Amino acid sequence: MKSESTKITIEDLKKIRFLEGYTDEQLNTILQMCTLREFSVKDILFEQYDELSDVGILLEGTLSLGISLPHEKRIHLGTIEEGQLFSWSAVFSPYISTAWVMAMTPVKVISIDAKKLINEIEKDCGFGLKTMSKIAQTISHRLSDTRFQLMNQLII
Amino acid sequence: MTNEKNIYKPLKSKLIEVIDESSLIKTFVLIPEEEFAFKTGQFIELSVDGIGEAPFTPSSSPQVTDRLEVTVMKTGYVTEYMHNLKPGAYMGIRGPYGRGYPVESFFGKEVLILGGGCGLAPIRSLLYALEHVRDKLEKVILCYGSKTPADCIYKPLFNRLNSIEKFEAYRTVDRADGEWDGAVGVATKLLDKIKVDIKNSVAVVCGPPIMMKFGTLRILEMGYKDEQIYLSMEKNMSCGLGKCGHCMMGEFFVCKDGPVFTYNELKNTPDIWK
Repeated sequence: MKSESTKITIEDLKKIRFLEGYTDEQLNTILQMCTLREFSVKDILFEQYDELSDVGILLEGTLSLGISLPHEKRIHLGTIEEGQLFSWSAVFSPYISTAWVMAMTPVKVISIDAKKLINEIEKDCGFGLKTMSKIAQTISHRLSDTRFQLMNQLII
Repeated sequence: MTNEKNIYKPLKSKLIEVIDESSLIKTFVLIPEEEFAFKTGQFIELSVDGIGEAPFTPSSSPQVTDRLEVTVMKTGYVTEYMHNLKPGAYMGIRGPYGRGYPVESFFGKEVLILGGGCGLAPIRSLLYALEHVRDKLEKVILCYGSKTPADCIYKPLFNRLNSIEKFEAYRTVDRADGEWDGAVGVATKLLDKIKVDIKNSVAVVCGPPIMMKFGTLRILEMGYKDEQIYLSMEKNMSCGLGKCGHCMMGEFFVCKDGPVFTYNELKNTPDIWK
């Protein structure tokens, strides 16, 4: 991820849907790993197959997520809405993105340092289980939605 | 002779307007010769003399009894003929049939509605009914998905709903075009962005079978109980009276026992999503 960083507060984190259910102490821990980044329309946050070092949560705006085909053709698969997690590949080996993400509007993104997050997951089982459950749910929804999308295409 | 209504006899109705909703969908505005009352979620058999009839759920307000709107997707012989009708033509209405939405049981609750494609037709009628009693409801949330922006019917409905107190409406499309700047993805993805008090809520699902399946599973995952989920089923209804058996689903005649069921009633029914 690129762009200049600005400050983020625990109050910002409390408004984020993905972070619901964390204690204030846990949110404080997350805050230490966070950077707020801003992107302009059409900015590419990362490309498919990029190595990722941050997990992202969309704070404001809309992101487009898609895959690349040969000849630089981009297929737009869906949008990421406010409060949703993306770039989850940053916490799973080989830490390579499975899709590209582009800003459709001016966006504010919370960028969480993946190495620090993995360290905390390993250190604190309660925090780790909660975090991995939420990431798994995100991936599960993405998979389920993709199946649904695929079946829509196959039927008609 | 008695004055009882003949349930087999269609009520003659004049077509006064045809609204193009999308390339395959039109809304027919009809003036019945007599007042025609229905409960939201009930269906009718709409006919053309000498051509045939087909079942539809009215898309207009159940509070309006002297004018009926029916949204028809072109899918076969009868509906194709209907699509060629012009204002001034006459159509027949039989019904209403079946069990609609138990709107009174929604009082004091939040109502989450998940819709897709042509499923917005019966949902629009439900939304009118809920708007009529909105003082007795906590909140109404509509999450709707269509294949493309052009396939979305009743486009002005969304802005109107978002201007009504206690109502929220969200749209998504499977495939965006150049001008679409909203959400892209299937209808279920909208469920990730809404805030709802699940314990004090009911969910309504209406749309194509695939959406009904994935939508219901996601709503169950959100924490809704089986009996909190209402499904509007469409299963080849024909006679509307529970006689012909075309719409049988397990132990139920969809035309008579439904078309609105709770998931609790249907969850053990074989082929529920077919």
